Amino acid sequence: MSFFNAIRSFIVVFNYFCMAFTLLLSIIYIIQLFVSLVRVHRNYNKTFSDDFHSYIDSDNLLPISLIIPAYNEQENIVQNIRSLMTINYPMFEIIVVNDGSTDKTGELVVEAFRMHKIETSIRYQIPTQKIEAVYYSKQYPNLLYVQKQNGGKSDALNAGINISRYPLFTCLDADSRIEKDALLRLSMEFIKDSRTVVSGGIVRIANGSKIVNGELKGFTMPKKLIERFQIVEYYRSFLMGRVFWSASNSLLIVSGAFGLFRKQTVIDVGGYKKNTIGEDMEIVVRIHRYMRKNHKKYRVKFNEFSICWTQGPMSLNDIRSQRRRWQIGLMDTLISHRGMTFNPRYGFVGMLSVPYNWIFELFGALVEAIGYVLIPFTLIMGELNMFFFVIYFLLAVSLGVILSEGSLVLEQYTHRAAMTAKQSIAISVYAVLENFGYRQLITLFRVEGILKYRKLRKTWGKIKRKEFEQ
Amino acid sequence: MKIELISVIGLLLCLLIIGIEYILHYRLAELQDENTARTESIRRRLDIHVEGVLYAPTEGSRNAEIKALADEINGDFAVYEMAVKAIREHKGTAYRDDTEAQDRLIGRINEYVDPVGMYAKMLDEGDVYHKGYACRRLAQLNAFEYRDKIKECVGGKDRDLSYNAAMALCHMGDVYEVADYLLSIENDTLYSGRIVNEFFAQFSGDRRELAEKLFEKCNKYMKCTVIKTLAGYKIDAFRPMYIEGASGNDNQLKIACVKALSSFGYPEDEQILQIAAKDKDWVIRASAVRGLSLLKTSTALESVKHALSDKEWWVRQTAAQSITRMNISPRDLEEILGGYDRFAADAMKNVLYKTVDN
Repeated sequence: MSFFNAIRSFIVVFNYFCMAFTLLLSIIYIIQLFVSLVRVHRNYNKTFSDDFHSYIDSDNLLPISLIIPAYNEQENIVQNIRSLMTINYPMFEIIVVNDGSTDKTGELVVEAFRMHKIETSIRYQIPTQKIEAVYYSKQYPNLLYVQKQNGGKSDALNAGINISRYPLFTCLDADSRIEKDALLRLSMEFIKDSRTVVSGGIVRIANGSKIVNGELKGFTMPKKLIERFQIVEYYRSFLMGRVFWSASNSLLIVSGAFGLFRKQTVIDVGGYKKNTIGEDMEIVVRIHRYMRKNHKKYRVKFNEFSICWTQGPMSLNDIRSQRRRWQIGLMDTLISHRGMTFNPRYGFVGMLSVPYNWIFELFGALVEAIGYVLIPFTLIMGELNMFFFVIYFLLAVSLGVILSEGSLVLEQYTHRAAMTAKQSIAISVYAVLENFGYRQLITLFRVEGILKYRKLRKTWGKIKRKEFEQ
Repeated sequence: MKIELISVIGLLLCLLIIGIEYILHYRLAELQDENTARTESIRRRLDIHVEGVLYAPTEGSRNAEIKALADEINGDFAVYEMAVKAIREHKGTAYRDDTEAQDRLIGRINEYVDPVGMYAKMLDEGDVYHKGYACRRLAQLNAFEYRDKIKECVGGKDRDLSYNAAMALCHMGDVYEVADYLLSIENDTLYSGRIVNEFFAQFSGDRRELAEKLFEKCNKYMKCTVIKTLAGYKIDAFRPMYIEGASGNDNQLKIACVKALSSFGYPEDEQILQIAAKDKDWVIRASAVRGLSLLKTSTALESVKHALSDKEWWVRQTAAQSITRMNISPRDLEEILGGYDRFAADAMKNVLYKTVDN
């Protein structure tokens, strides 16, 4: 057999591999969709009789420390703190950790809330960069402002944990908003199941939505195409993927923008890992690892009714930077915890969730990208039947649409979005359109993340976002 | 050819699913629009009726407005709840901030609307979620005649329904049923101890009776949880038990009993608290310090000052917060702040900084 023939055979075999891979992934996604449908339906009914509202004035809820790591967040920080002060929760403290910002973040917070420097003793249960000053205001007794040397987001979160007083903490992005009842809903997961160590909420794209004091007041379709695509994408990712994995207690990621943690557990595992840009995923995987290794009963939960709003990137460059970071974060975490892969000691997490992330979430992007190049090439070479190629392509697109459209149905069912029927149907058009260009572009960004892993794994990109509409 | 045929069938199937999804999506979106429009329209009409009820110049016209409001509600519990909420939140009338007057008015509306009947129907015909909801609502409306039906729900298989029904009985002050429910979940490690606290907080009957009933049969964990919960209610009858527990060897029980004793602030408990303040367990020490600070005697002050240099930060922090509530002299304060004991000075400074304005 000549070299040319060998290459040719390899390409043909690889093509079939790509097709089988895509079909397998689609089947897995469809299973996820159906499991999520059942779960969400059950949970939706459950919220009707749920008594979390009766706890609003109760002293029996676990108090929460809200930690906001801030690095050059002067545009949003004051507005965000004010919004957080209106949430429905009986006992909470807000800790703003300024991670050595070079802009006016610190001055703005101190001025807006009339804070003054206090002396306080700090228990360094997790080692962090030096805390330079702590500010307090008698007018806002549940607000603390911490000034520290730059050490990255993880370091800022660890400093916040060290200074926090309460048994639960949540990390919030400075540019996100949580809904009024979001914390109440999440904390009920800890009250009604004492095994809960982490509970994540749903992150929704705020582009186009009018959010006032943590309440959705209206929706207008965002102007840019990529913002519209992201709305569909977030629904798919949160309502399908996370609901499914949390059902089997093997959810590996709780969004960095909004998750509630049992503080002692996080301290036990050593806090957030520094020098990684996927610290939100890494901490959850480490918790799984620690709890399973030590045979402790635990639960990592996801509450799809607890909502946090975030501004999605608005330019292609920003989305590229974001997806690259996500992919690098995923890769970094999987490499750090590679010992869990197919390790029965870690149960469902080791046998299914981690391998799934390796195969489909990490390398899936590579297989998809190679497929985009090789399949048309094989077609030109005449090795692939044109009819079969077209059918396969349509099948792949249809499966993608089923998933996206399914997520939109779930969204419509659960959250009764502020969208009108017209807007809702218009959004579903993007569930089809995203398969022609956007999805391929995202795959390329993910591949770029894999290829530039070594170079970019310690750089923290900054995405330009606009202010929340008031 | 076979693969191609299968692919075509697969594709057709996918298109069918997409079609169904689109129809479902469209229908849900339409329903949402209809629902939004309906709710808006009801809200507008309700506002008119509620204002009519609230601002009626004579009792006769108020009665007429109430009847009109009842017609608008027309047996729909969601509309009824909207109306009640509107009355409670309405600003600018004589009823504002007067809960009793609001209750009387809602009572009059209830005579026409019969919300108990609405929720009773829900309890009979609804699924487990509606049943749970109905139980709680009936309890809020003091519908004691449905107590037996609610009791049946406590024994059901659904965990949430049992919880909601037990909570409803808790509102009704049913000692036996609530005690039985709490005993039934004492080994359910899923529930946090705070659930027990909440049951005691919501209980409208005699908490002492409920606690006694629990102490008869409960396990140690439940006993400690109940004692900690009762600390906030200062029930004198249990003091001998607390004293016994605080002097015993069982650490968990000791923690609970010292916490409960500390809440009384009785001078005769000082000796026990003084001993507890030197315990090897820091949780006990912290509770004892808090209790000692209520006594305000010179010996208690000395113990609290001593606790400012405890090896555990939480005890130091508690002592610093507590000492500011005691009769501490400026000289003592100066001594702590300028002394060699950095632990004490830091804890004190932290508390003092938080008491001053910018």
